[in-house]
Amino acid sequence: MAMDRRTFLQLSGLAGLAAALPACGSGILPEPDVTAAAFGTNATGTVTMWCRGATATGVEVVVNRFHQAQDKLHINLTPVPDSQYVTKLATAIRSGDVPDIVDIDDINSTLFIYRGAFTDLTPLVDALPFRTSLSPGHLRLATHEGHNYGVPYLADNSVLWYNKDLLSRAGVDPAKAVGTFDGLLDAARKVRALGSDTYGWSIAGNSPGVLGFVVQPHIWATGTDNIAGAIGTQRGHIEGNAPLRRTLEFYRSLWQEKLLPPANFVDAATTWGSDFKAGKIAFFPSNYAAAVVGADAAAVGRTGVTLLPGPDGGTAFFDGGDNLCIPRGAKNASGAWQFARFALDVAQQQLLPQGGYTPTRSDAATTAFQQKYALDLPALTHLDRGYAPLTLAYNLLYNQPDSPFISMFRRAVFNGDVDGALSAGQQGYDQILKQAQL
Amino acid sequence: MTLSVTRSGTPVSRRTAADVPRRSVLGPRSLVHPPGVGLALVLPAILFVAVFVLAPLVFAVYISLTNWPLIGSYRFVGLSNYLNIAQDAAFWQSVGYTLLYTAIVTVPILVFGYLMAVVVRANRRGSTALRTIFFLPYVIGLSTLSFLTVLEAQPGSGGINAILKGLHITDGQTPWLVDAPLATGLICVLVIWAVSGLTMVLLVSGMQGIPRELYESAEIDGASWWGREFHITIPMLRRTIGMSLILSVIGSFLAFSQFYILTQGGPGRATTPIVLYIYNRAFVQLQVGAATALSIVLVIVVALISAGQFWLLRERD
Repeated sequence: MAMDRRTFLQLSGLAGLAAALPACGSGILPEPDVTAAAFGTNATGTVTMWCRGATATGVEVVVNRFHQAQDKLHINLTPVPDSQYVTKLATAIRSGDVPDIVDIDDINSTLFIYRGAFTDLTPLVDALPFRTSLSPGHLRLATHEGHNYGVPYLADNSVLWYNKDLLSRAGVDPAKAVGTFDGLLDAARKVRALGSDTYGWSIAGNSPGVLGFVVQPHIWATGTDNIAGAIGTQRGHIEGNAPLRRTLEFYRSLWQEKLLPPANFVDAATTWGSDFKAGKIAFFPSNYAAAVVGADAAAVGRTGVTLLPGPDGGTAFFDGGDNLCIPRGAKNASGAWQFARFALDVAQQQLLPQGGYTPTRSDAATTAFQQKYALDLPALTHLDRGYAPLTLAYNLLYNQPDSPFISMFRRAVFNGDVDGALSAGQQGYDQILKQAQL
Repeated sequence: MTLSVTRSGTPVSRRTAADVPRRSVLGPRSLVHPPGVGLALVLPAILFVAVFVLAPLVFAVYISLTNWPLIGSYRFVGLSNYLNIAQDAAFWQSVGYTLLYTAIVTVPILVFGYLMAVVVRANRRGSTALRTIFFLPYVIGLSTLSFLTVLEAQPGSGGINAILKGLHITDGQTPWLVDAPLATGLICVLVIWAVSGLTMVLLVSGMQGIPRELYESAEIDGASWWGREFHITIPMLRRTIGMSLILSVIGSFLAFSQFYILTQGGPGRATTPIVLYIYNRAFVQLQVGAATALSIVLVIVVALISAGQFWLLRERD
């Protein structure tokens, strides 16, 4: 059959289209059957697992123990930088080549669950004998329409650390100071007066993730959030949010009165906690890893801890950490759940403080654990004070360099324009939430 | 075989008796190929273009007409991704920043490239070494240089701040990457330093193509060095300078890695160029459909700018 040039080019174009169109799938991968007989037991082969860089040490400890406990199933662990985690996992899901299990920031797990990317684990979670001991905050973020798509693995909570020695030298009673902003500000001024090298407070002022992690609990302690409404109709609650304004003004005072170290202005959390461990800081909002892990015995001995207060009282903490989820399309889902089940055992949970984290099972706080890890207890023993917002846009609102929260914080605290910051923040929240709805 | 020329000037072959080949068992040789041979010869190239250029382009247009998220299902949304561009304030902010960045770096890249070309164009002792040194930053690459600059720009510990402190210009605590004007200035200096080498290479090749006789006769006529540069070198380099400017402007419009590595577009969105904004829409906000529409608009805009530059810099006979 003769083919002229025009026909040939037309056919070539169609061939190109045919090559391209298979990529136009629905994007929803097949879901593993978690009700199959023997699911999650006696699995073999390799399980590919992703964990986030910030919690890699906690996961590696458990993976090593899993390999020591058996030799039929191997965990191939890949740490992924936190700031790239959502992007990389989303790209992997779109390509159809997913890891078998993901250790994902619980605050980001909601997005994937609402997009139908994770496996429904409800029957498996309900069958756990310690189901009622699991962190309710983590579970809430992994739940959609009554179904569980993830299981809490490790907790990474923001609390308020303080230097008992410095406060004592300044004549401050920590128990009275830590309840309100006025008490904290007064104590910070007294500690600053001790010398040019001691400061009242420290915060990584150029780290979007840290700011969202340690500043928001002050607002949550009053029962208020920066986001209003349910997923689908959410908008920012910024202008008119009195606890938020009070919190920004509190930090503005700390900066204006030089109660924060100058380096806080540029600190992207690269040296987070080093000044507190060196004994130069009175109050330090952060997690167990930044304040305690790596500190010498003297530093640990002078450290006290409490939950983060609201402006005039109340307490809260960021119910952060990781959920374990099995992406749809996982090739070895049975092996993945076998590992997850192992990681949730009390023996493994009680190892988490070594990596700087907290168990997600309240029944892990045995007497021996409490004696050994007294500084890791406030959140674990007050799980009802934990909170994290349920939204599809947390990564955009708080964790990215151009997030409205860090812009608002820096404009208010370092530039002193609280009104302008709140106004711009409202616009930023509304724009992102509008785009990020289902 | 001999060649003759037709009235229209096209050469054609004309066979002589000696040119006629002897018959072989394979049949008579003919200058007319069997049907399909030409097609078969270009088929690999056409397939390559169809699969790696045309199909992705068509696919990109298709994606831009959907709400394609990186996770989950998608639906057709018509032209709304394109229509929304007009109301996208953040996009226009990135367009403005890209224009500012382009305006800052384009002329210095050309001027420094020209000056370096003047230094190394003659084959004197050391010219080759200087060419290598000047071109080295371009070979190392902007990404590597950007990572190095991240370290050297740190307050307290970076080399830039240490030098400035040593010279008693600053206290060594300048937050180069946290302040938008400072970060923009630093990135512009970095890019001018890194990219001028390419302009130098392009201009040197153009300069070496200028006949010596022109300079010799100008010297005889008493032309100064400046006169020879302005009246011989620059006019003769018109095409090369035009090409350098076009490459520089396109490169500035498509700038990404230095911003991604050094500031990630911050503080806020103050140093976000267009491509970084599109990247964020696609891979951070996970809105691939909207990002693809922006990409297609960017391709058209860059093509129009390039066409405009070609038109402005065309040879006028």
